[in-house]
Amino acid sequence: MKSRRAFFQSCVVSAAGFLVARSEQLLARTGISLDPDDPEVPNQEVARILKELFGDRPIRRGHVELDMPLVAEDGRVVPVIIESDLPMEPGQYVKAVHLIVDHNPDAHLAAFHLTPALGSVSISTRIKMKRTTWVRAILETNTGDVWADYSRVQVTLNGCG
Amino acid sequence: MMTTDVGEARIRVPDQIKLGDLITVNAIISHPMDTGFFRTPEGAPIPAYFIREVVVTYGSQEVARFEWTSGVSRDPVVSFTLKADKEAPLSMIWSDNKGASFKQSINISFGSA
Repeated sequence: MKSRRAFFQSCVVSAAGFLVARSEQLLARTGISLDPDDPEVPNQEVARILKELFGDRPIRRGHVELDMPLVAEDGRVVPVIIESDLPMEPGQYVKAVHLIVDHNPDAHLAAFHLTPALGSVSISTRIKMKRTTWVRAILETNTGDVWADYSRVQVTLNGCG
Repeated sequence: MMTTDVGEARIRVPDQIKLGDLITVNAIISHPMDTGFFRTPEGAPIPAYFIREVVVTYGSQEVARFEWTSGVSRDPVVSFTLKADKEAPLSMIWSDNKGASFKQSINISFGSA
């Protein structure tokens, strides 16, 4: 995870002002609340998804870990593991986990609706990725808190056609 | 899984389960998960054909519900945890965008050892 973060930070530092400004415009228009060092919202579609799911609630980093390969050689089959340290108890639980792949044709790739009966948040699956992009795992608790983690995955072979 | 019929599904849980264990459930279903973006070698478009919803029940309780798109890989796998707090069937129903549903169940039971 450390290297991913470091890579991301270096991207931010080197990012052109144009991109930052464009993303800030998107955020300002939509009211989406991300941390300043989170991946930019790349397009209207991702902005729409985030707005629809979370409104203007802050999307903070923490309590969720998105584990994906740094490099996916075959975009047709990319493993995903999502885990959280948040409790899964009646009255206090993670009610949904959303998986968003920024540059996929269908960016809101999956939603996992959960209940305390699961005992923990530890989900794995395999997904398709069209090209190199940020992937967002964003969870929502039953009390409305929103937590996120991000992975940048380099895709060698387009898995979406 | 490539040669099996569409909708053939398997659920796997640990062999030995004790009351209160946090177990991992692994599930796989055979399904093409076509995106609608590809064509056959003859050039005909392949329409979207994918699992759009998975419902997980344990006993009489719905414990999870997944909404998927064609972005989930062919022959979808999913794993999740479950608190084994009763002896009851664990069932999963996968529904696709053409209206078909596929069900598989496994019994959660506690060893006598």
